[in-house]
This record gives sequence, structure tokens and C-alpha cells, in this order.
Amino acid sequence: MSAVLTLDNLSVALKRGRGKPVPILDDVNLTVAAGEMTALVGESGSGKTVASLGIIRLLPRGAKIAGRVQLGDTDLTRLNDAEMRRVRGRDIGMVFQNPLSALNPTTRVGNQIAEVYRLHTGESDRAARARALDLLGEVGIPNPADRLDDYPHQFSGGMRQRVMIAMALACSPKLLIADEPTTGLDLLVARQILALLTRLRREHRMGVLFITHDLSIVEEHADQVHVLYAGRSVEWGRARDFFDQPRHPYSQALLGAIPRLGQTRLTSIQGNLPDPETRPPGCRFAPRCAFREAACETAYPAPDTTGGTVFACRRGREITQADTLDAVTESPPPRARTVDGTALKVDRLAVDYERTATSFLRGIVGRKDRLRALEDISFTLKHGECLGIVGQSGSGKSTLGRAVLQMIPYHGGVVFEGESFGAMKHRRRRLARRRIQVVFQDPRESLNPRMRIGDIVAEPLKLSGISGQRKRWTQAAALLDRVGLSERMLPMFPGSLSGGQAQRIAIARALATNPGIIVLDEPTSSLDVSTQALLLNLLKDLACQDGLSYMLISHDIAAVSYMADKVAVLNGGRLVEFGPAGDVLAHPRNDYTKELIAASPHFRPRAAQGGRGGADEMPVYATRTAQHETAQTKEYNP
Amino acid sequence: MLRMITTRLATAILSLVILVSIVFAMTHATPGGPAYSILGQKATPAAVHELNVRLGLAAPLWKQYAIWWWHLLQGRLGYSYLLNRPVTQLVGDYMANTLALYIGAIVLSVVLSIGIGLVQGVTYGRWPAKLIGAFQLSLYALPTFFVGTIFILYFSVTLGILPTGGITDLRIENPGLLVYARHLVLPVLTVGLLGVAGLSRYFGSSVHEELGKDYVRTALAKGLTFRAVLFRHVLRNALRPLVTILGLSFPYIFAGSVLVESVFNYPGLGYLLWRSALSQDYPVISAIVLLIGVMTVLGNLLADLVNGLLDPRERFE
Repeated sequence: MSAVLTLDNLSVALKRGRGKPVPILDDVNLTVAAGEMTALVGESGSGKTVASLGIIRLLPRGAKIAGRVQLGDTDLTRLNDAEMRRVRGRDIGMVFQNPLSALNPTTRVGNQIAEVYRLHTGESDRAARARALDLLGEVGIPNPADRLDDYPHQFSGGMRQRVMIAMALACSPKLLIADEPTTGLDLLVARQILALLTRLRREHRMGVLFITHDLSIVEEHADQVHVLYAGRSVEWGRARDFFDQPRHPYSQALLGAIPRLGQTRLTSIQGNLPDPETRPPGCRFAPRCAFREAACETAYPAPDTTGGTVFACRRGREITQADTLDAVTESPPPRARTVDGTALKVDRLAVDYERTATSFLRGIVGRKDRLRALEDISFTLKHGECLGIVGQSGSGKSTLGRAVLQMIPYHGGVVFEGESFGAMKHRRRRLARRRIQVVFQDPRESLNPRMRIGDIVAEPLKLSGISGQRKRWTQAAALLDRVGLSERMLPMFPGSLSGGQAQRIAIARALATNPGIIVLDEPTSSLDVSTQALLLNLLKDLACQDGLSYMLISHDIAAVSYMADKVAVLNGGRLVEFGPAGDVLAHPRNDYTKELIAASPHFRPRAAQGGRGGADEMPVYATRTAQHETAQTKEYNP
Repeated sequence: MLRMITTRLATAILSLVILVSIVFAMTHATPGGPAYSILGQKATPAAVHELNVRLGLAAPLWKQYAIWWWHLLQGRLGYSYLLNRPVTQLVGDYMANTLALYIGAIVLSVVLSIGIGLVQGVTYGRWPAKLIGAFQLSLYALPTFFVGTIFILYFSVTLGILPTGGITDLRIENPGLLVYARHLVLPVLTVGLLGVAGLSRYFGSSVHEELGKDYVRTALAKGLTFRAVLFRHVLRNALRPLVTILGLSFPYIFAGSVLVESVFNYPGLGYLLWRSALSQDYPVISAIVLLIGVMTVLGNLLADLVNGLLDPRERFE
């Protein structure tokens, strides 16, 4: 296999405010072969995005690049700006995270695709438009001729990412760099995107550099894996070797942090990623490593190999994955659950959404169309239980959470601790509502940036009539302690928090009123894998301590399997399967449930995984979801 | 797009109905009624009653309201006894002058603001942007009448190349277009430059904000030059807030016109409003207030429509 891209000791330093540039990425060596996929894996702050922007030289002003970036026979670092512009879009296609913001909202997708083709080929508008049409078809957009003149907001998340891929493919590049292209998409869609990339790279013999924080998603698709930690490569090699026998303690812990079927405890890596300014001189993972020796802290270990992957660890030869898991997985606290009594009973719940009328005349008189978002949902949840609610985007799972929280009007009954909300008097209802709390997906968005953490956590206490800031902060300190944070955080503002810390704050706030139920709406989907593991462990421990019930809403069936006692599967607003987690997940009866489980690679037990045959596109279901998705967007975007 | 236009139009019509009603209420809330204003404070009750009957003010309020609307729809806004002309005709003449002045000023300030804002947005955080920012702030702080007076002193008195104003007298002799335009230069410059201060600052930060968005990175990754990214991708997105601000600034433009027009002796609506207020010419005042309101509503409608053209997400599908 000939190398399309070779990074030779690539280092990048970025200017942070005044002063000297700070090294972000150090001495990365990596190759992408024609027709193959190399996965560049790292958690936030590892420098993986800086690496991709360094390759196409789109770093912020004042950035310093050292080393070589070899694309075929050319060293990109030696090109002048005009030459580099000819490489971008023509030889290297880019696919970015979050296609809604990465596409120009005011330009038709066909024109955005045609633009890059016209730029590099000098073809006519007409030819470019024809090319755009072909590309939309190639990336699997249904009725491409009808969608060519649509705007990005008229597509669903997965379809938008396909548009982005079409744009990157326009000039048949040798290399495609995909920077977290599936983050934010639900698993079924993410799998379709990956399958699409795999098909395209094989057909076009194009190299793909796939940048991600999620090892589980690349396991079945990558040929090479390259793991970054704090700006340095810690382990790299063939994907098969890597997943069979990871050698670096960080890689091992990262793999152990991914929820799998039947797992009782997730690996948690203690401590935080070092800041670029204060990176340790030796092995950067040493301060968080259970196997460190004195030498690890002074000198960076030389790369070593035993025939499989190459690892930068002094003790990589001797440490096995089992050692790591033993060392970094603390045993769960005793289960002191009181599983008696029903916490929540939902009886034939239905929710209608109103939206702007599609009919012109009805629109003029201000009438709204009704859309049934949920239909005939019934289930019960006992004290101390966790109910996992799974389904794709648009399946109504968040709506269900909001109905239980009494945030939206609904039909049917919601009975909390034996009393129906419908029958409660106003005051009683207000008190009951306080005992159902919520934690949202994006922790930093859901915390008021102008409020101190102490006040955020204590705000529910204020509502329940506890007066005096000192008194409330004392209780807030206790709550912070329960979620594993220091009381020193009380006077701080949320701006300085990491995603995981912010989510802990949100949990502490939810715990303040001593709730019976916490609705967890995708609580970990914006977090790194290792942070997710810590958070899921914490949530599990909290439930063990005082019989708290959860409603865990997630598209990640693996996370749900780790947490949930019961599972409810939603599809198109209907409950298609409900039962004990073990039964539903091990012996799904519904086709849709089976699809969801199949989309989660790590969910199957490793032994049963067999060959690496997941590269084929899922035929029947893929088109069905595609249409489902399109319909959703049309409906929800007036 | 059609849906959006009809919806916005319906909102505009509703705003106008409310506005007309407010103006009606205000005119009829004059202490003692207009009769005293016309006849003087010492008028006998009999004379007042007679005038009220003649003016239709003795009728029940709903009837007066209906008549008010009826006249309005026919374009009849009353009669100015002081200037001895029908209000519609009077306001129409002054309105033409005002439009010439403000369309000129708006075009000038938008063009300048886009140029300045682009430079400011692109060089954000570095010295060109900081220098521009300092200029904007000092310009913003200058009072209209001061700038107008300085212009008159320099261009008309010292250099003697432009008239000081007083287009009123010339109009009677029906001047040529060139003469008319020469009289417009200084007022347009004054209003336009002061408008630039705020608008360009707004547009500059809008450009800066857009440049930080992900689609700019995508466009650069396609191999476009920075200039192409700026003009093909950023400009259109950055214009939206500018259009909204322009639409909202209509009432301030007309209210602010009182000062500029009096400095230049320029016969626009502001000038007329000022004169009529001094002489308590109620029909004229209420007509102008109504007109400013209409302009504001139409300005916002126009801004909404332009935004709909600029941004497909604003349109109703």
C-alpha cells in the first residue's frame, strides 16, 4: 500500500494571547495509505484537531509548524499560500464536525458543492451543477435532484453530513480528513456515515484520516489506529493488533471505559488532562498512571514494540489489559437498594406538538397543525431503579422526559409516588414537581455563566424556602462532596469548568431537593469516553446509596445497558419494546430494537463479534431511516 | 417566501391600525379640544360649541373615529389654518425633501459602513480595527448640530463651494436638479457620517463574529482565497444584523431630523414638525406623527423582507 499522507515529526505550537507559542502537538509520525483508514484517536485537549488543521495549514494566526507533512511526493509545509490553496479541496477533502455550522446557512447545498469543483477544475456552472447532482446521489441522498437547491437547515443531521462528504469528494481528493464527523449524530446514523466513508475510500482508493474521541466507533472500520494523549502519540499500529492487545495503560483504560454488555464497572482514569502549559517533562500520562516508575516522570519513553502495535511506555511489554482494569477499576459500593414501592407510573401518555400550519390559508388565520409526538406510552418505575429510554433522534424520548417533568402538556396519567399529577392541588403539585429533577445533555449550556457554582447548586434550596446564603452554601458544599467535587468550587463561575465537572455540578443541583426521580437527558453524549465512564459510575453509586430512580434517556444503548434495570425502546413516538434490561437487550423481539443493538459495536460480547465484517452498509434499514430522518427535518423546521 | 410576506404584512397592518388609533386618541385628548387652540383660551362656550359642530367634534366618539378612518383612507388629513394649505399637500412636499435627504444619507452610511466594517472585522484585535474603533466612538459622541454647523462654517463660509441650506426659497423658482443636489450635499453628509459611526461598528463586529464560524473554515478548506470567502460567504451572512438595525433606526432618523433640518434650514418633515409644534398646528403635527409611524412600520417590514431574501431560514417554507 502506498502512503497518501505521511506526517514526519509534526509539531504545532499555538499562540495563546501574548507571549511565546505554546506547544500543542509534539513529534507526531503517522501514515495514511491509499484506500485505507487511519483513526487518530484522542480525548478533548489531545491536539487531534490541531493536527488536522496543521496538515491543511489552516491554523490560527501565529501558529508554528515544525516537521514535514508529506502528501504523495509533496511536502506541504514547503508550499507557498497559493500552492497550498490548490491542494485544499483538490487533493485533500475536509469533513468537519457539526455540519449544520460547517455549511454556509445561506447558500444552497448544490452551489456549495459546485463551488469547490468549479474552483479547481475551471469547469462551467452547468458541469459543476451536474457534478454536484452526481455527488449527492453517490453519498446516498434520496431524490438528489430535488434536494440540490435546498439549504443546509432543510436536511437532517445525518443527511447534512452526507452533503459535507459530497463537498469533500467533489474533486476526487487523494486524502479525506474527517474531524469527528459522527459526533452529535445518533448511533444508527453515525454507523451509516462510517459505512459510507468505507465504501467511498475503497471505490476511490482514497486515504481517510478519521479523527475521533470514540474508539468504539472505529473498531470495525479503521486499518490503522493512532492514539494521542496530551499532544503526543502514546500508541499506534494496525487496528487489529491494537484492539486485540493494547499495550499502553492509557489505551487500555480508554478501552475499558467503553460500556460493554455485562460489565459491572467501567474503568475510570483519575485526575485531569494536563494543560499545554504545564505538561509533565516525562511521560505525559505518568501522573495519572497506576504503573508509573520514577523514570517515567523524567524522560519521555522511547517507542517500543513486541511485534504488534508500537507503544511509548517503559512497561508496555509487561502490563496487560487485565492489570490495568484491576488497577483503575474500583469495586462498586454495596447495593443497599430498597426495591419496593412504585416511584413512577405512566399511564397511556400522549403528547401533541403544535407547529406552524402547512396549509397557506390556515397559516393566515394563525391555526396550528397538530403533530402527535408520543402515543400510548405506559410503564412503571420502582424506587431505586433505572429506566433506560432508547431510540433515535426524533423518536420522542426527550419529549417523554419533559412530559414526566411536567414541562409540557400531555394526555394520560403520570402518577408519582402513588399520586397522579392530574389530581393534585396546585401547591401539592408544585412540591411534587420539585422531587423530579433533570440533568441535560450539554452541561455548559445548561448552567448560567453569570451565577456562582454555589448559587447554581443551592438555587433549588432557595425555592424550598431555606434562607441565608451561608446556610445554603453549607448544604451546597455537601452536595458537591457527594458528586466528587471540592467545596473550593463554590465561589467559582461555570466558565472555567471542564465538561465532566460541569455535568457533576448539574447532578449536584438535581440532588439538592432530595428528589425521587432524576431524568437524565443524554447526560454523557457530549463528553469524552473516560469522562463518561466516571460520570456513569458516579450516577450508579448515587442510586445505590439512597434508592434514587433514574430515567436515562440516551441513544447510546451501551451506556443504557450499563446503567438500566429496565429498558423502554421508542420508535416514532411509540413504545415498541419494554421490559427488564437483560431480557430486552439479550433477546430483543422487536426489529427496531435489534437494529439499535446491532448499531452498537461494543454492545455485543467480544467473543461473538467474529470477523470485522461491519464495513458493509446496512441495506434495508439505512434507507428507511434516511427517509424517516428527512421527514423529521421537514416537519420540525418551518 | 409568499407565506412570510403575507404574515409580515398582516403584522404591519395591525401595527398601523394601533398607531392610527393612538394618534386619534392623542388629538382628541388635547385639553379643551382643538376648538380652544383655534379660537384662543378666551373663546365663549357658544363659539366653541359652534366650531365643534362645524368641525364634527360634537358627534359621538365612535363616529368621529369612523370618520377619521374614512378621511384617512381618502388621503384627507385635514387643513392647516396656519399655513393655509391642505395638510396632505403640505406634508407631501416636505416628505419628498425628507426622503431625498434620508435615502441619500442611508445609502452613504451603508456603503461606508460595509467598507469600514469589513476592514474592522477582518483586522479585529489588531491596530487597524482598534484605530477604526476609536474613530467610531469619537464620531458617535459628536452632536448632530455641531457637525452640521462645522460643515457649514468650512464648506460654505470658508471655502464657499456649497450653499448653507435654505432650499425653501429656491423651490419656489423651481430649481434644476443640480442646484437641488448641491443643497443636499451638506445635510446628507452630516446625517450619513453620523449614521456610519454606529452602523459600521455594528457591522464590524458582525463580520468578526461570522469569520469565527465553522463554515468559514470549511470554505477555506475548499481552497478559496480569503477574499473570496469574505465576499462570497461572509458578507451575506454578516449583513443580516445590519439590515435589522437599519429597519429599527427609522424612527430615530426622523426624530433626529428635527435638529439637522433646523441647522440647515432644510424643509423636511422635521423642520415642519418643529415649526408646527411652535405654533400648535395640530392637524399638521398629527399627520407627521402618523407618517413617521407609517415609515417605521414600513421600514421594519422592508428589513424583514430583505432579511428573508438574505437568509433562507427566515422564510416560511
